[in-house]
Amino acid sequence: MSDEYPSLLRSERMSLVQLFVPTEVAHDTVHELGELGDVQFKDLNPSVNPFQRSFVGEIRRIDDMARRTRFFDAQIEKEKDVVPVRPLYECAPLLTVGPRSAQTVDELDTTLSQYESKLTTLNESYQTLSERTRELTEARHVLRETAVFFDKAHTQTSNIRSSFDDSATPLLTSHDDREGGYSAGSFDLEFVAGTIERSRVPTFERVLWRVLRGNLYMNHTDIAEPFIDPSTNAETRKNVFIIFAHGDVVLAKIRKVAESMGATIFPIDANADKRADALREVENRLEDLQTVLYNTGIGRRSELVKIGESLRVWQDVVKKEKLIYETLNLFNYDVRRKTLIAEAWVPTRDLTKIQLALRHATEESGTSVPPILHELQTSKTPPTFHRTNKFTEGFQAIMDSYGISAYQEINPGLFAITTFPFLFAVMFGDIGHGFIILIAAVYMILREKAMAKQDNGEIIGQFFYGRYIILMMGLFSIYTGFLYNDLFSKTLHLFHSGWTFPDNSTRGVYTGHTYPFGLDPAWHGATNALVFTNSYKMKMSIVLGVIHMTFALCLQVPNHFRFKRKSDIYTNFIPQMLFLQSIFGYLVLCILYKWSVDWTKSPVSPPSLLNMLITMFLEPGKVDPEKQLYPGQGFVQMVLLGIAGVCVPWLLISKPYLAWREMHKTTGAGYVTLGNGEETAIARHSTDETLEGEEEGNGRAIAEGDEEHEGHDFGDVVIHQIIHTIEFCLGCISHTASYLRLWALSLAHAQLSEVLWSMTLDGRTDPKSIGGWIGLGIMGFMWLNLTIGILCLMEGLSAFLHALRLHWVEGNSKHFEGGGYPFAPLSFAGEGKEA
Amino acid sequence: MEALFFNIDNGFLEGIVRGYKSGILTQNQYANLTQCETLEDFRTQLSATDYGGFLANESLPLSTSTIQEKATQILVDQFNYLRGNAVEPLNKFLEYITYSYMIDNIILLITGTLHERDTHELLERCHPLGVFESMPALCVATTVEELYQSVLVETPLAPYFRDCLSANDLDDLNIEIIRNTVYKAYLEDFHSFCGTLGQPTQDVMQRTLAFEADRRTINITVNSFNTELSKEQRAKLFPTIGRLWPEGNNQLAKADDIDQVRAACETVSEYRTFFNDAGVSSSSAHGNGGIDDLAAASMLEDRFFRMEVFLNKQAFLQQFQYGVFFSYVKLKEQEIRNLTWIAECIAQDAKDRIQDFIPIF
Repeated sequence: MSDEYPSLLRSERMSLVQLFVPTEVAHDTVHELGELGDVQFKDLNPSVNPFQRSFVGEIRRIDDMARRTRFFDAQIEKEKDVVPVRPLYECAPLLTVGPRSAQTVDELDTTLSQYESKLTTLNESYQTLSERTRELTEARHVLRETAVFFDKAHTQTSNIRSSFDDSATPLLTSHDDREGGYSAGSFDLEFVAGTIERSRVPTFERVLWRVLRGNLYMNHTDIAEPFIDPSTNAETRKNVFIIFAHGDVVLAKIRKVAESMGATIFPIDANADKRADALREVENRLEDLQTVLYNTGIGRRSELVKIGESLRVWQDVVKKEKLIYETLNLFNYDVRRKTLIAEAWVPTRDLTKIQLALRHATEESGTSVPPILHELQTSKTPPTFHRTNKFTEGFQAIMDSYGISAYQEINPGLFAITTFPFLFAVMFGDIGHGFIILIAAVYMILREKAMAKQDNGEIIGQFFYGRYIILMMGLFSIYTGFLYNDLFSKTLHLFHSGWTFPDNSTRGVYTGHTYPFGLDPAWHGATNALVFTNSYKMKMSIVLGVIHMTFALCLQVPNHFRFKRKSDIYTNFIPQMLFLQSIFGYLVLCILYKWSVDWTKSPVSPPSLLNMLITMFLEPGKVDPEKQLYPGQGFVQMVLLGIAGVCVPWLLISKPYLAWREMHKTTGAGYVTLGNGEETAIARHSTDETLEGEEEGNGRAIAEGDEEHEGHDFGDVVIHQIIHTIEFCLGCISHTASYLRLWALSLAHAQLSEVLWSMTLDGRTDPKSIGGWIGLGIMGFMWLNLTIGILCLMEGLSAFLHALRLHWVEGNSKHFEGGGYPFAPLSFAGEGKEA
Repeated sequence: MEALFFNIDNGFLEGIVRGYKSGILTQNQYANLTQCETLEDFRTQLSATDYGGFLANESLPLSTSTIQEKATQILVDQFNYLRGNAVEPLNKFLEYITYSYMIDNIILLITGTLHERDTHELLERCHPLGVFESMPALCVATTVEELYQSVLVETPLAPYFRDCLSANDLDDLNIEIIRNTVYKAYLEDFHSFCGTLGQPTQDVMQRTLAFEADRRTINITVNSFNTELSKEQRAKLFPTIGRLWPEGNNQLAKADDIDQVRAACETVSEYRTFFNDAGVSSSSAHGNGGIDDLAAASMLEDRFFRMEVFLNKQAFLQQFQYGVFFSYVKLKEQEIRNLTWIAECIAQDAKDRIQDFIPIF
């Protein structure tokens, strides 16, 4: 057991443990471990089908319970008036451990099914009732609408008649002929009336038109209010239609079409009095029905309210139980089926805590047989587990989304805590903007507890998760803002400027006193300000970049020591370091030297460092005296170039050579490599097994057989090293150039904030009239909004992404190995958060 | 060239459909499914596949028809998604796929009405891909003429029906004739439409459709033995495409028993194997020809399905063509048939026949 203090530098030390759990306490043990959330169980029967495992029956039962809770949830959600659902933390917990656990679950099961059947019956009766209400409502509509139609026909008889006279409609004309015309008030024409879904009206009309061979006299009106299906909440809109026709065959045909198109047909009498009677009756029945419906609705609602009180607890229990049984399915039965055997990864540090939990579980369940835990020796790679707190969590997540680091590898997430916000701030440097995001972060941190509980939505949730990153970014941005002397594109005069402008001249005179911290405010507004800051920020980003890469490269060393690959230090680390330093380290030194020289007093003009670097490659050893930075430059550069040149073959050849020598030594000593690693593994395995048989089969991991044995082929080493060399050498150049994004983003940010200021507030800050004040108000509002929206959010996001890239690509490529798999412990808390 | 521009309009959908395709159940998953003891096991097993929790909210006990219905619903949803995102001419192509379901639905409704089944029950049994607006009104018609005039004239199927207006009264034989005439017209139309779509689609689709046509031709021949269908009528029902056309079709039109059918199919090497066992069994037990023909036909049917699956799988080997959409729908349909079969076998405890499904991948 290691006693070192938990740190983020390396992932937690893990142990593989074996648990012997008596069947009686298995459930409670897993429950306890799930509450603890510190144990990752291994699947001991990977070849067994999910439905052939031991606890399928329980899982199936719990699935059914889960379905019931989902049904309740859906019902509650569908209810129009909100049904209060008591949140989980306000409910009394339902105990599912201890000796009575089985009964509790049984009771819960019966309660759930009782509620379900009750609710289903209520739903059904509600459904039938609303169905009948709907029918009656439709009937009422049909009666009313047809009445309107008949009334209209009465008053317009003359019109109808004249129009029928010259009408070409054969059916009506023939009718007209036979009956000898209409007399007002006597309608002998037969008709079909009913309701149909509005979307179907055109099709209905078309089909009827064709079926009746063009002799269609149809009238339809919309029903204003929609009908709502109580079970699905779907809205349907319907139309009342009335079709006039004559002849039984035709009428039967119309009815059939109407029925097949989903219309409802109502018997309507042609007599106005009878219609009025029918309407009255329908209205009476409707009223009765609505009372009953209302009462049923109330009954259903009260049932739902009762369910809502404990629904969350049920859901919680069901979820936990399901998780427990799924975990139990990973276990193995021993021969006599008395105990379950489990294997799990646990952090070595927490072994005692887990022992305690196991004892607690035994006490809870009221039995005297405790589960037995013992550690196993294994050659398997344990999962990677970084113990984070709420501050480091976000930074670790940034690195984990690039890749999970190998077990016990140096963790870049630790260093990201400072480097990440710093590189961000180099791009985002502005006191004001930094302050804004700082305030946002501080607000989120102060309201942490309240915000953690509520559902923040996707976007706010993301920001909330990264609140400590934002806090650090804000602090660092304020710091770099001071360095750049930038406050919403204005400057601060904290100290006396080192420059004076005598007699309104535009040429500054140096007073001989240096501005103590950050950029001299005199540069602000100077005509050559941009030239100066560009050169300054560009060089600074190269310096920072080389420092960051050198640091990342150094992180290899502890890895090489930890994984016992000392030869890698002089086959990989040293040549890489020399290569980087002899080219770019030298460039950084030149930059620093150039900054330290007062070029106004120098006889030569300042040389361009970029050209210097290019000529260093193109014409090694030759330096134009005009452009010389220091004496002896040519020789130094030639030596450095030589070192860099030597490093390439060194890096390329030394590691494969060592591997080859090693191989030669083993074959020379008379050993022969077996065809593949597997055979040896199998051979060893079988001897192991016989041994184990004698030793009663204790102390060996059950699921050990599937370990992959990677064949370290010589060819692989060669290819890998070639790729690595090319990648590193080209990477050095492109990555250094890549750090120039620090300059570009910082420049863009400064320029953007300056443009925003000049376009909104410039010249308005001292209003003289009321109009001026109003203008200031509007513009100030605009400026504030754009500052937050564009400069802080959008620019911040872009700077964030670039900082992310610098860490993932430029930083991690120098040392990160990755390939680990995350520690995923059984935990009830985590599951709760996801849902 | 098609490779250059195909993805502009159809790249997304092809990606989607290939993604869907990788969700089709594999041999392994079928092996797991066939081991299930109950339908609940079946559901648990399916939830580990691409079907996911599609049955999670169904209350127990499950029925095979629910499984089939829900699985079809998934296919329909996927198809509608594809269709909603498609542009011409893919849109038209997808529409053509639905025509075959429309034909099936129409025939189902007419037959149902003839036997005086309940209209609503019939409507529920219709395939959701082939539903069209005025479909319910089909129940009213009593003659083909009326059918055409009142409903079909406004559907895209109208041209296909034009050829069979001569049949006056609707009886079972006539409906069968109508179905085959319409299907023949549909296949020919689809075939020529695919011809307008340019090279890779044309290639893949015409191969699949040719097989479909041959299958119909052989089926019609086999099923018309000992019926009142005359040989001239039979010949009229054969699609004029396919690999058997024209010589094979001519021979089939004159065929009187299954041996002559086999002889007609000799020219196409792929079809030769279909009749191998069938021929042997028919010659070995000549006495009870009726039952034996039935067995041979069902075996033939099975082989046709296998061939269809094979051809549809082939369609996925080529990129930049529409064949994948057609093939996906057909494969998924086969998968649903398989699922239903397995579920049915589980439900009826007929474990010995559970392996009789057609594996896809």
